[in-house]
Amino acid sequence: MNFFDIGFIIASVVCAVGIVRRLARWCGKPTSEVSVSSLSWHRRLFLALKIFFLEILLLGRTCRTGRIRWLAHCLVFFGFMGLLLFHAMDDTITARFFPAYESTLDPWQFLRNLFGGMTLIGLALMVYRRVRLRSLRSLTRFQDWAVLLVVGGIILSGFLLEASKIMSPAVFDVMVYDYFIPEDGSDITALKAVWAKKYGVVFPEEISDSDDVFENGLSLNEDSCVDCHSDTTSAFISRPLASALHPLAPALNRSRADEVFWYLHISLCLIALAALPFGKFFHPLTTPANLMARLGRRDAAKDDVPSPAIRGLGIDACTRCGECSLHCSVGPAFSVLGNSNILPSEKLISLKGFESEASLSGQALEAFAEGSRICTECLRCTDICPSGINLQDLWMASKKAVSKVAPDSNQAIRLMEISERAAPFGECSLPPISGLADNKESYLACVQCTTCTSVCPVVAVSEDPSRDLDLLPQQIMNLLRMGLKEQTLGARMVWSCTTCYKCQEHCPQNIRVADVLYELRNTVATRLREGECADERDG
Amino acid sequence: MKVIETRILILGGGATGTGLARDLALRGIPCLLAERRDINAGASGGNHGLLHSGARYVASDAESAIECREEGAILKKLAPQCIEDTGGLFVAVEGDDEKYIADFQSMCDASDVPAHEIDIREARELEPVLSDKLIAAYSVEDGAVDPFMLSLDNLAQSVALGGQYLRNAKLIDFSKDNGRIQRSTFLDQTTGEQFAVEAEIVVNATGAWAGIVAALAGAHINILYSSGSLLITQDRITKRVVNRLRKAADSDILVPGGTVSVLGTTSVTIDSPDLCRPSVAETNSIIEDARAMIPVLDTTRYIRAYAGVRPLVLLGDSGDARNVSRNFSLIDHARDDVDNFITITGGKLTTYRLMAERTADMVCAKLGVDAKCTTRTEPLPPSTMGRWTEPGLGPKSWIQNRDADDLILCECEMVSRNAINAIVENMGGMHGNSILKAIGMRSRVGKGPCQGGFCGLRITGHLYDEGYVSEAKGIEELQSFVGRRWRGFSPILWGLPMVQADLQEALYCGALDLELHDDDDDDFTCEDA
Amino acid sequence: MIKDDTIYDVMVIGAGFAGMAAALFASAQGLKVVQTGATGGIDFSTGFIDLMGVHPMEEGKRWNSPWAAIDAAVKDYPKHPYALLKRDEIAEAIDTFTDFLAQNGLDYVGHSERNSRALTPAGTVKRTYRVPKTAWKGTLALESKAPTLFVDFHGLKGFSGKQLVETRKRNWPGLKTVRIQFPSGSGELYPEHMAWALADPAVREKLVAEILPHCDDVEYVGFPAILGLNDPQQVVAQLEELSGKHIFEIPTMPPSIAGPRLRAVFDRGLPVLGVRTLSQKMVTGVEKLGDGSFQFAVGSGAAASTVNAKSAILASGRFFGKGLRADRNSVSEAVFNLPVVQPGNRDEWHLHEFFDHKGHPVNMAGIEVDEQLRPLNAGQPVHDNLYAAGAILAHQDWMRMKCGAGLAIATAFKAVKAMKG
Repeated sequence: MNFFDIGFIIASVVCAVGIVRRLARWCGKPTSEVSVSSLSWHRRLFLALKIFFLEILLLGRTCRTGRIRWLAHCLVFFGFMGLLLFHAMDDTITARFFPAYESTLDPWQFLRNLFGGMTLIGLALMVYRRVRLRSLRSLTRFQDWAVLLVVGGIILSGFLLEASKIMSPAVFDVMVYDYFIPEDGSDITALKAVWAKKYGVVFPEEISDSDDVFENGLSLNEDSCVDCHSDTTSAFISRPLASALHPLAPALNRSRADEVFWYLHISLCLIALAALPFGKFFHPLTTPANLMARLGRRDAAKDDVPSPAIRGLGIDACTRCGECSLHCSVGPAFSVLGNSNILPSEKLISLKGFESEASLSGQALEAFAEGSRICTECLRCTDICPSGINLQDLWMASKKAVSKVAPDSNQAIRLMEISERAAPFGECSLPPISGLADNKESYLACVQCTTCTSVCPVVAVSEDPSRDLDLLPQQIMNLLRMGLKEQTLGARMVWSCTTCYKCQEHCPQNIRVADVLYELRNTVATRLREGECADERDG
Repeated sequence: MKVIETRILILGGGATGTGLARDLALRGIPCLLAERRDINAGASGGNHGLLHSGARYVASDAESAIECREEGAILKKLAPQCIEDTGGLFVAVEGDDEKYIADFQSMCDASDVPAHEIDIREARELEPVLSDKLIAAYSVEDGAVDPFMLSLDNLAQSVALGGQYLRNAKLIDFSKDNGRIQRSTFLDQTTGEQFAVEAEIVVNATGAWAGIVAALAGAHINILYSSGSLLITQDRITKRVVNRLRKAADSDILVPGGTVSVLGTTSVTIDSPDLCRPSVAETNSIIEDARAMIPVLDTTRYIRAYAGVRPLVLLGDSGDARNVSRNFSLIDHARDDVDNFITITGGKLTTYRLMAERTADMVCAKLGVDAKCTTRTEPLPPSTMGRWTEPGLGPKSWIQNRDADDLILCECEMVSRNAINAIVENMGGMHGNSILKAIGMRSRVGKGPCQGGFCGLRITGHLYDEGYVSEAKGIEELQSFVGRRWRGFSPILWGLPMVQADLQEALYCGALDLELHDDDDDDFTCEDA
Repeated sequence: MIKDDTIYDVMVIGAGFAGMAAALFASAQGLKVVQTGATGGIDFSTGFIDLMGVHPMEEGKRWNSPWAAIDAAVKDYPKHPYALLKRDEIAEAIDTFTDFLAQNGLDYVGHSERNSRALTPAGTVKRTYRVPKTAWKGTLALESKAPTLFVDFHGLKGFSGKQLVETRKRNWPGLKTVRIQFPSGSGELYPEHMAWALADPAVREKLVAEILPHCDDVEYVGFPAILGLNDPQQVVAQLEELSGKHIFEIPTMPPSIAGPRLRAVFDRGLPVLGVRTLSQKMVTGVEKLGDGSFQFAVGSGAAASTVNAKSAILASGRFFGKGLRADRNSVSEAVFNLPVVQPGNRDEWHLHEFFDHKGHPVNMAGIEVDEQLRPLNAGQPVHDNLYAAGAILAHQDWMRMKCGAGLAIATAFKAVKAMKG
């Protein structure tokens, strides 16, 4: 038992326990009503293949949220997979398929550098995005950095390990001792000359640079070394790294840097293995699994109510990319209220807490409840999610659940049917909420003063209202007056309205602006439920 | 004095004048069109915008009915961008003349005008606002036409084929020699300068002003000026054209046009076409009469009123204007010893093309040119000149071409900055001193509920920003624009429009002092000091 | 139906200049006041307090002395509401009103005896009695013709610096303008939102940095009225300190910030004085009780309530304020159905030209009152305990005579005085 074995066993156990706990959590939920879309098996197979190739292998879903993000993920995915399969698991995979495999031979040496380089570039792009995009930066938490740090650490330590081995005379000595039978002392000197010049080893002593010695060294090298060692220039990252470290080489060699980096590299790999089932580390497994489980759907139709296990899988599939929050309709409400639970990506974390045994309490619960209430179920987060998580379904379920634990008096009224709501008012019942938008008499009195827009807090917090909200309140009223209702339904203003009623209260002509916006939202919600808009939305 | 030479000079930029300019241009005869004010400033812009199926005239004028039927069908086919094929209804209510109702079908059949009786309940399902006192209903093939787009598209094609046009060009004199008009002298009302036009033939297509213009040439036409007022509602009340099934009277027709409906028309004889403006009394009588057919017309919000003058050429001695023939009059003034002078007047918007064709035929005959009319078969191409008059286009175009800097300047009709710029560019150098009014004519600006109250000020600011106006010019434009809207706004001031007008005056007079002369008095001493 | 058992001394109907002034003066007299009224006149005002500017309207003659103008107008229109007030009363009313505004952070300034010149967003110049302190330097700049820069913004509609320069440059040399990007927010901008953004001192600094390069040869810098909602004077002071220039505001077209600023002062200040404000609610009905007091039905739907008051001041404004209503045949009063003095029929309401100097006859229509400002019917007060104030009064055309705010404040003052006995 050496360091590696002990470490590997511990890491594997931690990993296994973690995965079992996860699975147990997914499956341990009481089964609720589940409905599965009635697709034929060959349709399912086709979809599964399509998802596997387009969305898992080619990360097609990621592409919808931006090219840089897609590129970064592709680089990391393919780079890391290459390293994992051909380098980390070389004994089990590479050596079996390629009997002549040696890690220091090309193409493996070159590929290792290529994969490592790809991964590093990908990670750098990810860091750039996190730091550069202001809205994303504010969403970034410890686990996001942890993943980047560990994966980046593995690759960097790998390169340093390789570089330190390239320049290490100690490693050279071991190899000579194991594989080379010198006829006399000059053979070693000759071989050293070749290895110093061609392979980049940094010897402590002066190395002869006469042509005779070098010629001799070359033929010795030809006989004994090249079968197992390609020229290190094909290690196009490690070799330049070694050259760059040349001034430090004596010190590094003396302290056996190659061994230090080996321990570092292995430790980081083991940490990654152990961390795999925790937090964001798990997403490379759960996200593809979730995409398969959802068969590529981006909606939240009635015929697709998932089982609790799939729901759990969905929660764990979050990569914390933040796209949902960037596209959230009630994002402006977050700017006003400052409760991060309004944003889907953050609410999901609270949801995990809420669903765990400890559950949430106190302020955390209140914040989660408020975030859940403000959600307008506009489906946008679900539509954009690169992991294909059925967020809409999660919110619908959690909204109900949290309202039981942390009831909100307003929510209680909202959950009533309209007739129930009107009941307490007895005779002076509220005028019917429906039919306002289509009835042009609703806007007859408008004098075009634009006060509704002027007092709107959602417009006020928007950096560029026409860009962020599409249409402003008075523009929606005018479009409706002109009978152009269809043009208003998709407007973000409708979904961003927090129904604070300031517009309606300030209207000098008593036009029911907020009621109309609320009704428009209901109209679209109804249509979405009926699936009328599914095609338009995808188109 | 500048002299412009042209083969044909057309006076008047209404539907007939622009239609004639296009007809001649298609025959290879480019011409110069001179308009005293702006395109459709007269009756071409002051009517219902009704594309008659002919049914309206089956009782009074079978010949007109047939012409309308034929021309309506041609326009629907060749100028679809200007037409909304709404279909129409003729309805009668309790108390209407039963004999007229009974004869209606056979009269339509006699003129070959398609009409068929429909069940009263069905009629009320088609148009739920119809009175519950309905006693008869017929379905006909009426439609709505955008007269501004129609004239602008006609003009655009004639210009594309080498024609020219002048706005704000007021005819002041003809000089005749040898029984021919040698030279027509104009006043450019933008610059105050005079210029002359020398043409082989002068066509007088000035509508109600035809008599006045003809008199300048020493010719005489006996015209009865019949002013008709109409009301525009804020909302579109019906999907179809609705006609009262009775002998023609004051408020028989409700024509939908985009997002509004137009109700009218009265018939009041006036002494001069320049006196034409809608009055409070006409407004009241229109509503009080029409509410029997559609009760909601009593309470709905009206946007404004407007009026146009029908030029009714008297053939003999006749009393009421409606009994005079509405067929057009094409007069060769050779009869008045002016050889190269033709007057075309009267008629209807629906038959404008036919009028243009007949006039062009006469022009060609006089020129000795053998060229066939093609407007009967050639489609009328849509133009950028006319496109902004379409209701609802402003918002749709704005939503489609979202551009962060493209602010909405007219909130009511959602006309944006880019749209205004496009309109001004299309006017070329001819925006003269009525640029704001010209924008109003070429778009929906000022036609919504605010009637220029807010958009006027915003667009004025924009015109300054773009350098279209300078010094006090923009303020004068604004005053003239608001003043012009007032003609149509003042007759409907009760209820909500009164609230709107109160706000408008508070803004323009209470806050901005726009009714006063500019205050450049630097004398700060007090009167009582 | 919510029932409020309190019996108030006075119900003020209306929340415009007259209503706000009446509530202020009545509560200052120790009366128990309740006030109703929705968004209206005050929200659309320019923030200027006109006292009297033009007479006779036909000649469009402007006056430097508002007091001389009042005397002249009252001589020609003996029934003008100003005829019911002495000069001292008017002056006291205006001063009390502006003192209250000043105590709440909104100072008003003007020449002691004469009207000041003020710039409007159209580029015209009007004469008014008192202007907000944040606009005052604009008056100084205009009256001294000092070199001035007008700043306007991409995305703020209806306010064009170029328009101001073009309309005024003929006898005000040294004018220039610059259009800049607002430092916080882009696309379509609204004054209220810009004013909110300027609550952040960093935005003010950025704003000054934007304009400084254009300020070299000017003494004054004029902005559209966007400089702060609750603390405009501090914002202006800070901008002056940062830029080293005189800064002033020019009102914008509605919805401007001037109205919300005034309203905010009353929303803050009146409850402190014990006024119960039923804001955004309208009186829907009234009943006279046996003891002579009024019972009002207020609001509609679920929020409807009744309010009892011993007397009432009707300050409900004209058509836009919903105090007067017009149907096709006549003008009526909305709450008490009081007789309205008016031209014979609708034909005579309006003149053919909108900008006719004579002024539209319907603007002189309204409620006729006795010397105690009690509405009259056939020469007799309709109720002993009902008073009227502001634009609803007959025989004045505030829009053409330029006497809106002054008349509202002064008649409210007189009505409260008459009620107090």
